Amino acid sequence: MEESITFLHSSDWQLGMMRRFLGPDGQARWGQARLDAVARIGDVATSSGAAFVVVTGDVFEHNQVERQTILRACEALKRIPVPVVLLPGNHDALEPGSLWTSAQWQAHAPDHVTVLTDTTPLEIVPGVEIVGAPWRSRRPLSDPAAPGYADLQPAAPGVTRILLAHGQLTSLSGGMSDVPTIDQAALEAAVADGRVQYVGLGDRHSTTRVTERIWFAGTQEVTSPEEDAPGNVLEVTIRAGAIEVEPVRVGAWHMVDHRVELFDEESLQALENWFAELPEKERTYVRLAGDGSLPLPLHSRLDMIIDAQGEVFASVERWAKFWTVRPAPDAADLDALQLSGPARAAMEELRQALAAGDEGAGAALSLMHRLARDAG
Amino acid sequence: MRLHSLTLRNFRGVADRTVRLPALGTTVVVGDNEVGKSSLVEAFGLVFDLPDDSKSTRIRDIQPVGQDVGPEVTAELTLGGRELTYTKRWLKNRSTELTIVEPDGRRQSWTGREAHNEAERLFHQHVDPVLWQTLMVSQGQSLVLPTPADAEPLITAVTAESGTPVDGASMPLVTAVEHEYLRYWTRGGRATGDFARSEKAVVAAELTEAQALKAMEEVQQDIRRAERLALDLEDVSGRLTDHLGTVEDLRERKKATDEILLRRDAVRHRAETARARLENHTRTRVERERLLDEVDRFTKADAELTERRIDAETVARTAAETLHAAEAALAEVVELKDARRTDVQEAERRVSELMDRAELDRLLGQQSELVDVRARIAAAGTILDRIKVDDALVAALEDAHAAVVEARAALAAGVPEVSVRRLGAEPVELSGTGLDCPAGTVPAELGFDESAELLVSGELVLGVPGQVEVTVRAGGEAATLRSRVDEAVRREKDLLKKAGVKDVAAAREVLRKADTATAELHEARRTERSLTAGGDPGERIAVLTARLGVGADDEAEGEETSKQPAVEGVPGQMSLFEEFASPHDTLFEDFEPPASEPDDLSGAQRVLEEARDGLAEAERLLRDAEFAAAQARKAADEDRSEAQNARARSEIAAERLAAAIEALEAARSVLDDDAVAAAESAATAEVEAVLEELTAVQEQVDEAGADQVAGELADALAVAGRLHSERDTLRDALRTTEGRLEQSGRDGLATRRDLAEFESAAVRAEHESLRRRADAARRVFETLSRHRAEAQTKYSEPLQSRIEALGRSVYGPSFRVWLDDDLAVSERELDGARLPVEALSTGAQEQLAIITRLAISHLVSTGEGSVPVIFDDALGWSDKARLRDIGALLGRAGDHGQIIILTCMPDRYEYVPKATFIKLDG
Repeated sequence: MEESITFLHSSDWQLGMMRRFLGPDGQARWGQARLDAVARIGDVATSSGAAFVVVTGDVFEHNQVERQTILRACEALKRIPVPVVLLPGNHDALEPGSLWTSAQWQAHAPDHVTVLTDTTPLEIVPGVEIVGAPWRSRRPLSDPAAPGYADLQPAAPGVTRILLAHGQLTSLSGGMSDVPTIDQAALEAAVADGRVQYVGLGDRHSTTRVTERIWFAGTQEVTSPEEDAPGNVLEVTIRAGAIEVEPVRVGAWHMVDHRVELFDEESLQALENWFAELPEKERTYVRLAGDGSLPLPLHSRLDMIIDAQGEVFASVERWAKFWTVRPAPDAADLDALQLSGPARAAMEELRQALAAGDEGAGAALSLMHRLARDAG
Repeated sequence: MRLHSLTLRNFRGVADRTVRLPALGTTVVVGDNEVGKSSLVEAFGLVFDLPDDSKSTRIRDIQPVGQDVGPEVTAELTLGGRELTYTKRWLKNRSTELTIVEPDGRRQSWTGREAHNEAERLFHQHVDPVLWQTLMVSQGQSLVLPTPADAEPLITAVTAESGTPVDGASMPLVTAVEHEYLRYWTRGGRATGDFARSEKAVVAAELTEAQALKAMEEVQQDIRRAERLALDLEDVSGRLTDHLGTVEDLRERKKATDEILLRRDAVRHRAETARARLENHTRTRVERERLLDEVDRFTKADAELTERRIDAETVARTAAETLHAAEAALAEVVELKDARRTDVQEAERRVSELMDRAELDRLLGQQSELVDVRARIAAAGTILDRIKVDDALVAALEDAHAAVVEARAALAAGVPEVSVRRLGAEPVELSGTGLDCPAGTVPAELGFDESAELLVSGELVLGVPGQVEVTVRAGGEAATLRSRVDEAVRREKDLLKKAGVKDVAAAREVLRKADTATAELHEARRTERSLTAGGDPGERIAVLTARLGVGADDEAEGEETSKQPAVEGVPGQMSLFEEFASPHDTLFEDFEPPASEPDDLSGAQRVLEEARDGLAEAERLLRDAEFAAAQARKAADEDRSEAQNARARSEIAAERLAAAIEALEAARSVLDDDAVAAAESAATAEVEAVLEELTAVQEQVDEAGADQVAGELADALAVAGRLHSERDTLRDALRTTEGRLEQSGRDGLATRRDLAEFESAAVRAEHESLRRRADAARRVFETLSRHRAEAQTKYSEPLQSRIEALGRSVYGPSFRVWLDDDLAVSERELDGARLPVEALSTGAQEQLAIITRLAISHLVSTGEGSVPVIFDDALGWSDKARLRDIGALLGRAGDHGQIIILTCMPDRYEYVPKATFIKLDG
């Protein structure tokens, strides 16, 4: 087999997904970005001379996505100039009521798109055979990849065989998965004895190399700050027993976790600088984890900073679970306001309540501080 | 500040006037309208406000009309310890002069604009404009209640006194806090504005979300259902296919076994026919055996019953005889009892007769005694009839006799008592009338030595014949006494005559006899009554006599005749006696024949007792006999009935026997006994043959399993039908579910759910943020309000207590006020009625305004910033009574500060004590 074959491997497009932290505007732009990334896969296919594109599961977020999502997905698929093979994953399983069997999909699916509905090998281009293990239910009872290669004999000479599967690897899921996982050892065995030459996996949103020939493509566009390598498509080239896998970035968005410790003006300034240095702010979601305590004026300023950055960025959120920045008024703060009489007494009462752990008093104190400063 | 004097020149209508004011105390400036009282106040304001070159209309207004002169004002006052003399003239010959004497005596002077500036500076340094405005009441403003919160000297005073700083400086913050609070909450504490809208939005979004979630949940359920249905359908279809193969196999087998079954049916039919025939013959034989047996049994029974019937009839006859004997004996005892009853009756009659006779004897004796008694009564009556004396008559007699004696005694005492004694021998003759001699009759002559004592009531002639005759005549009284004696004697005689006795003693004797006779009469009557108490014995005698059937005379004869029938009246007695005499000897031992019936009563009674005993004995015998007869009757009845039964049974048995024999004969005439047995054994042989054949066929059937095949086929078909319907049901259910899912996919339910969640989260986040801010705003608002309220209560206290102290001197101890945040009086309470000041009468408002100003003045009087209190034409609304009290207050207020009152009605202030009155003339 002298000739080489190049194809693209992508997965987890999750079309129709919603991210509530993005807000309406962010959601709309991000949703479009996911489709744009699909179109860019088409560009990569063209530029790399790929013969076809495989998508290993979770093309759609649900089987019951709205019509608009399906039609737009079909339009995006038309931007890919080579045959496309889609594998049903856990989100869009071939269960009853599946999108893939619906009239909407079948009426609009482009001709060059094939959905793997069983484990029958498909000769996508001469000399290349694709076998898939589509999900038939959201809750499979056994290794979801196994049906794909269980009955296979080693590939005929001159035939490159690609296995497409969807699911977590036992080694990567940490045993926490509540659905059966894919047996990595068995997969490696199938690769080793020549039954398959490449295993394309889906479900994991970060591009992940499992072995030389077993890869998770990862999602085409980031969906969560937890993902460490999203936004790629894999350019796979198989040539005479050798294989080359190259991640190519197609995503345009960023989702970032950032942890800060705030206790003085300097730390606040550092946060501001960090925000300033981030590129592509309008396509970036920041989730802030924070700890520490700030004097009232700084605390007010922090609120303003986050408020303002929220306008610049797609979204800036305090990560409620890890956000413990508290206002810490000191006597100097209060003296600076030159309050007297009842106002001073009221503020002092709030300050003591806050010191005693009353969270509500913190907010009240900040507000009063701001009002007193503005009124003064 | 203290105002000492004001001089006005060419000021409105005033050409030149100086008013001097005491630095302390109350001054009343009196003047008619238009004489320039108000100008004083105006001038003081202008001199500090406007420089001498001012072109203000206020200046032009004060220029006297039609005079081209410059108005001029000079004020002397103390300001911050300095003495100021400040003069200013506007418009014409403008000038300003200020002279200041420092507390240490240094003197300084300014002129022109410098003077104005310095005066203005000092004024503003030492006079708080708010306080000044508050305490200077110009004309027509006396009703306006002061709102002194921003008067610094007052605040200072209040702060000093209450120890609580007043947050005058914090007011913008208070406003800001309140504004912030009202962005989220109503004053009532309900959510409002964006916050309230957001709350509603959350509810709506969550509802939408819940609906979308539910729809999606239904989709999930449908998916699971469809999965399950698909599995079930596959399973059922597989089983159905398998089962249909089984059904085909069974059909083949059945076809093969049907021929054998047909044959078995034919043999079975023949066997049934033979068996029926055999049954018929057997029945005939059994019937014949039964007939024979019956004849035998009935013959035996007939014999037995005949025997039993004869026995019973014998018994019945015997019983009838026994009954007859018993009844005869009973009749005899009845007769005996009747005889005994007759004996008893006879004995009773005899006793009764004897008793009647005894009573008759007694009554006859009683009757003769009664005759005696009645004779005695008649005798005593005769005696009594003869006696005429009674107790009254005897008493009258005794009285009459006593009257005689009494009259004689009176005569003797009242008439001369002449004692005559013959001494000599010569007779002495006595004659005369009306002479009484107590010794007896008057002797006509006296014997020798005889003497007579005489009472002379008439005339006594005493003479010795011949020798002497003495005539003694009684006096006038004598005749009367005499007649009384005569009268008494006559009455006594009449009575004695009436009594028929000769004297009183005889009368008494007669009376005693009468008593004796009366006593005897009474005794005799009593005896009579006792004899006749039981009625007249005569009647009873007549009754008894009649009953005894004899006259009282022939009693003895009647007795004879009555005895005869008593003996002959018991005819059965003798025969009964004879019959029972022998066996019952002892019982009749004492029985005496009636011939010797005793005549005495006790004998008769004994006979009665004996007769009664006899009757009782006869009754006892009767009861026994009756019992015996009843027993015999009962036994006879039973035996007779038994005999009848026995006869009836015997007759029935005979009939049955006859019938059985007849039936047997009839049966035999059709088929004799041997023929019956032969027919049965022939039929038995036939049956056995057919059964053998049937067994053979059945063996073939069993071998082929033909009987089971049909059942198995039917079961298999039933199962197939069930599986079919099960598969169809599953297929329908699956199609329905898939159809629903297809629709859900078209509806994009998952997207809808995500959108709803998205929306809900956004709305919730926004609400959460608003809520945090709203909570913070409320927290600040409430905390600050609480502290302000506390402070307000504290710092309003000094002023409040001053106002109340002053007010109580006017209104009495129930007067109270409440101040608002600006220290203005907001409410007043009097006699328990609390009212907002706006609701008070005009007079009360005016008084309250004055009181409040005086209270403020009092509070600040000790400080540097004190100012005079000026009232221009106040108290126009108050009545006389209040004027007196307010006047007293105004007077007292002068003790602490400078009070200036401008008025055209001085009488309003006549009650102000210690006031200085200054009169302005026109």
